[in-house]
Amino acid sequence: MAIKLPFADLLHQRDGRYTREMLLSPGGFGLGVVPDRSKPNATTPMTCGFCSTGCSLNIHLQDGAAVGLTPNTNYPVNLGMACPKGWEALNVLHSSERATTPLLRNQKGNLEPVDWDVAMGAFCSRFKQIQRDHGPESVAWLGTGQLATEELALLGAVAKFGMGMIHGDGNTRQCMATAVVAYKQSFGFDAPPYTYQDFEESDCMIFVGANVCIAHPILWERVMRNKRKPEIIVVDPRRTETAMNATQHLAIRPKSDLALFYGLAHILIENGWIDHDYIAAHTNGFDEFAAHVKQFTPEIVAEKTGLTIESLHRVARTIHERPRVSFWWTMGVNQSYEGVRAAQSLINLALITGNMGRPGTGANSITGQCNAMGSRLFSNTTGLLGGRDFTKAEDRATVANLLKIDVNHIPSVNSWAYPEILEGILRGKIKGLWVVATNPVHSWINQNQCRDILDRLDFLVVQDMYSTTETAREADLVLPAAAWGEKDGTFINSERRFGVIKKVSAAPGQALADFQIMRLVAHHWGCESLFREWKSPEAAFQILKRLSAGQPCDFTGIKDYQHLDNEGGIQWPYVAGADDLKPAAKRPDEEAADSTPSGDLTQRRLFEDGRYYHADGKAKLLFEMPRPMPEPPTKDYPMILLTGRGTAVQWHTQTRTGKSAVLNKLSPESIYVEVNPRDAREAGIQPHEWIAVESQRGRVRARAFVTNTVQPGQVFIPMHYDAANQLTDAVFDPYSRQPSYKACAVRLIRI
Amino acid sequence: MSSVALPLTHAERTTTSSMPSFLEELLADQQDLTAVERFSQFHSGSSQPQQARYYSSLLPASPPGPGEQYAFEVDLDRCSGCKACVTACHSLNGLDEDETWRDVGLLHGGSVTLPVLQHVTTACHHCLDPACMNVCPTRAYEKDPVTGIVKHLDDQCFGCQYCILACPYEVPKYSAKRGIVRKCDMCSQRLAVGEAPACVQACPHEAIRIAVVKKADVAADCEANPFLPGAPDPQYTQPTTNYKSSKPFPRNFLPADYFAVHAEHAHTPLIVMLVLTQLSVGAFLVGQILQVYAQGSTLFSLVLPVQTASALGFGLLALAASTMHLGRPMLAYRAVLGLWTSWLSREIVAFGAFAKFAAIYAAVLWLWPEQQGAPWVFGLACAVVTAGLAGVLCSIMIYHCTQRPFWIGPRTFLKFSLTTLWLGLSTVLTVSVLAVDLQQPASIQQLMVAYGSSLCLALVIVAAAKLLYEVALFGHLFSKQTTPLNRSARLMVGELRVWTRIRFLCGLVGGIALPAILLNQTWGSASHSMSPAVIVGLCLASFTLSVIGEFVERTLFFTAAVAMRMPGSLRT
Repeated sequence: MAIKLPFADLLHQRDGRYTREMLLSPGGFGLGVVPDRSKPNATTPMTCGFCSTGCSLNIHLQDGAAVGLTPNTNYPVNLGMACPKGWEALNVLHSSERATTPLLRNQKGNLEPVDWDVAMGAFCSRFKQIQRDHGPESVAWLGTGQLATEELALLGAVAKFGMGMIHGDGNTRQCMATAVVAYKQSFGFDAPPYTYQDFEESDCMIFVGANVCIAHPILWERVMRNKRKPEIIVVDPRRTETAMNATQHLAIRPKSDLALFYGLAHILIENGWIDHDYIAAHTNGFDEFAAHVKQFTPEIVAEKTGLTIESLHRVARTIHERPRVSFWWTMGVNQSYEGVRAAQSLINLALITGNMGRPGTGANSITGQCNAMGSRLFSNTTGLLGGRDFTKAEDRATVANLLKIDVNHIPSVNSWAYPEILEGILRGKIKGLWVVATNPVHSWINQNQCRDILDRLDFLVVQDMYSTTETAREADLVLPAAAWGEKDGTFINSERRFGVIKKVSAAPGQALADFQIMRLVAHHWGCESLFREWKSPEAAFQILKRLSAGQPCDFTGIKDYQHLDNEGGIQWPYVAGADDLKPAAKRPDEEAADSTPSGDLTQRRLFEDGRYYHADGKAKLLFEMPRPMPEPPTKDYPMILLTGRGTAVQWHTQTRTGKSAVLNKLSPESIYVEVNPRDAREAGIQPHEWIAVESQRGRVRARAFVTNTVQPGQVFIPMHYDAANQLTDAVFDPYSRQPSYKACAVRLIRI
Repeated sequence: MSSVALPLTHAERTTTSSMPSFLEELLADQQDLTAVERFSQFHSGSSQPQQARYYSSLLPASPPGPGEQYAFEVDLDRCSGCKACVTACHSLNGLDEDETWRDVGLLHGGSVTLPVLQHVTTACHHCLDPACMNVCPTRAYEKDPVTGIVKHLDDQCFGCQYCILACPYEVPKYSAKRGIVRKCDMCSQRLAVGEAPACVQACPHEAIRIAVVKKADVAADCEANPFLPGAPDPQYTQPTTNYKSSKPFPRNFLPADYFAVHAEHAHTPLIVMLVLTQLSVGAFLVGQILQVYAQGSTLFSLVLPVQTASALGFGLLALAASTMHLGRPMLAYRAVLGLWTSWLSREIVAFGAFAKFAAIYAAVLWLWPEQQGAPWVFGLACAVVTAGLAGVLCSIMIYHCTQRPFWIGPRTFLKFSLTTLWLGLSTVLTVSVLAVDLQQPASIQQLMVAYGSSLCLALVIVAAAKLLYEVALFGHLFSKQTTPLNRSARLMVGELRVWTRIRFLCGLVGGIALPAILLNQTWGSASHSMSPAVIVGLCLASFTLSVIGEFVERTLFFTAAVAMRMPGSLRT
């Protein structure tokens, strides 16, 4: 009808301000249509700041400030996708809980806003006083895998070389330490060997203690893109989302993993399904290893793991028959009292079957935090900058030389690990603590004890983007930090790829980038002369390049941030002059990228030549007798508590993700416990009812989620809820000192 | 930990004195956003959407033909539960901070040896027979004749939220700050330019695609198939989304939120409106019956004008309250547009007529008292009652049509009609007693004998019947299955138990105990007859408690009416 009646709109209104509000218009810059009001006039890519996948997010900018984001279509990591945390990454910056000014605890015991000068004055005077009274090592720090590499390096350098601290460690102790030690011992350097393209090029992927669907959704994207009809073997006591997608799910008894993998090695060796040439040329210790696994007969292993003998043979046969087998693990292995040996039992399987250095193979640890890998190389905590050793005079001299500082500034002893630092507080050895971008009062194992330990400190400084974290509330001084998106730097992801983060949003109030806070500290402490060259993150990046020279992680070939940006991130090693690395003939996101050629710039794996980092170029086969679970179920505490990620939308202690209204909507608001229907029936527990979960250390009230996804005798609680760690048992791996979060004894009580 | 900041030492003071410039430099640098200058603009030349390389295979090759429409197709084998679709929809459509148009639920079941877990992404199903559209009083919904997309016209909506009650999939979302509802339109604007909807673009596992479906096939599938385990019966609206799975679903497949019950929204203006319209209609109805039954009772003729005026007053109050429920009350006039399909439109028209007739009737009785009893005035009164009852019937149909078991069929019919009688009786009794007490045309005892006691008796019977009917719901507490009515009953004895207690206390005292006392004193031994003041007091108390009781009953009517929904994820 062409005729429009006057006032027709009053009656039936097809257009108007609410319709216009939803108007989409072409975004330009290779984007599709976007909301008209947030149409960008520039875009720039940067690496996501949550997990170690290291996705690239394309930030939409209006006059330099971020107004939105979309996943970067061309980045070789995420191929145009992001998980919910990435999609919401900018929204969590705008929260009323941001720390906007330094806060100092006043005489009444309340945190009170002060300016930076007062804050720095208190920081220096209190820490110096403590060091005068109790020695320089009485002040320590706890860092993180959430900061940029440049910031971690400056923090470690200022603390140890400038402020004279001896002890510092990071929250990476809670997630990656086991993989670090396992790789160091086996390969001679902490070097995850794979590239993400291996997910697409593997014939058999064995996931151990890894719920990739939930913990690393974008890596699961890569698995789903695999066109080789791969076998997917999942080793996990729970029926997780990943296990649902497995062709073989091995629901082993908790903490029977070491026996399982020794048992598989036994079957492989017995049947001659191993690569004798590879073993001879590239490994040490095979005979001892073969002798060790002889005792792990299928019968014994079946009994220990609760699996059938047939299923053990089937897995071994799959490993034998598939040309490219890859082994992937995360926290189920790392967070264990014998995690290092468990990780090495997987490394051993890859080595003896020759599944190393080829496309779709490898013994591959998937890291946790966005920059756990940066922290592993440059946090200057339990290892000297660039993957070096504090106890080696030669390493100290090199670093002193490269940093142009007096070698005496570099401690010659190793730092205590996280648990020793806390123990040090308990024993009165450590009196001052500087906590940066981590939340131990939520995340540390046996949390009630942790709170009590921090209470004993003379001075606790917490540097964080929020003033409301469980740990910040306990602080004597809170330093307001700028967040991801408000500062520059680089992250290194799980596959050793450097990616750039950028300042695309103004920090609130007086908040400063962590890098600048470290500089401010150096300035006030009176040691800034040591750090003259650390003018900006990008200047620091050049220092880190120097520090990497000649190390396995050498990345001297990366020119600068712009170079990283242009190439879509670059994996270490990337040695200066290595111009023979060519852009891939085919981008990985194109079809039929079945096998990346060696020398491809965007997808590189280690050990293609079979040379490892030990002096003789060989890898070590390391092993040990499995030990019983430290706290097995008893009559009083008959259930095993498992912990892990419950959802893809929450990150760790929910410090950031808990600030997004959408993410909060998408995950259960309060703590719940998964209980098998059989156990629920026996205990008289109704679905959805509130029950108490008790361990010897604490009691937690939780909703019962009655489901078959946990086995009888086991319960599961997601670690995102702060109460979860009131139950866990502070047991550690003897080599990596990583806490064993995954299994302790509990009981369920109706309330 | 120590709580005292030490005073700065001299050395530190001197250091700080040189500080401001350095600190200021850092603070200024922190606010300086330079990413654009320092880094090349990303694909600044490109105007084509790069993401198309991933989603082009997820869009249909050609648009729907006759008898076809677009539909979401979800490959459950590929849905891992990451929920990127929800956040991408939120982001790419510029929704409010906490607004989501998509959701991801979880089904679980199986056995100890073979547990099964299935995440389910869900949004608007763009139904063949959309309940939202059918019930909308303003015709703010349209089903596109070509694409079949059910589109909401945001500017046409006046925010009555009836579509929210009617949709069995919790799709329309109310925006309080705008006073309107908004919902998924399958990213029509994207499809129009050949781009995929946000959720399709963003799923890392390519689990969501847009398909062209034959409407006849969808209708046939809705006859035979369970749409998805745990989802509402598809025959109600004929949803078009196709959930595909290569795995058989276990028989015990249950939504993760199956055992969670939460009180629903109370809709306070609707509670006031429903109770008071029914009170008003009831008062007119009882008045009319009395006119017939008590013909020649001069006493009632004297009371009638007052009683009419007060019934009218309550009715107008109710209609005022109903506009408060609209997000945009200024547009209330649009309500007539949906007369053809919407019971809400019909309700508004019926009550509109009722109010006008009632106003004229009341005016006649006051201005021309001599006309009282004239056949045309009696006819007018019949018109008032007819329009009012039609309105109550429309109210009943509004809730019946939502298919919620707590509201369906006799559940709403009996509640609303018995409320009409209960409050009608109570109003006429109280107004009569008050009028007689004030004007003194006769004694209150005479009134009670004339018709007051009959009203009391009827009141006790109606109240007892209604309370009994309401109590019968608790029988569902013993049902072996977690039925919707079992959930409602559990809510009423659980989360809503305080409301339940108040409801039955008010009902029992106001509807049964107090009227019974009045009855007893009229018919019982006259030896201790009550003073008029006590009778007036008892009547007022009975009336007040009855009204409060019905308000609370209606609150429970909304809050305990468990909504139908798609399988949800765990709620704690």
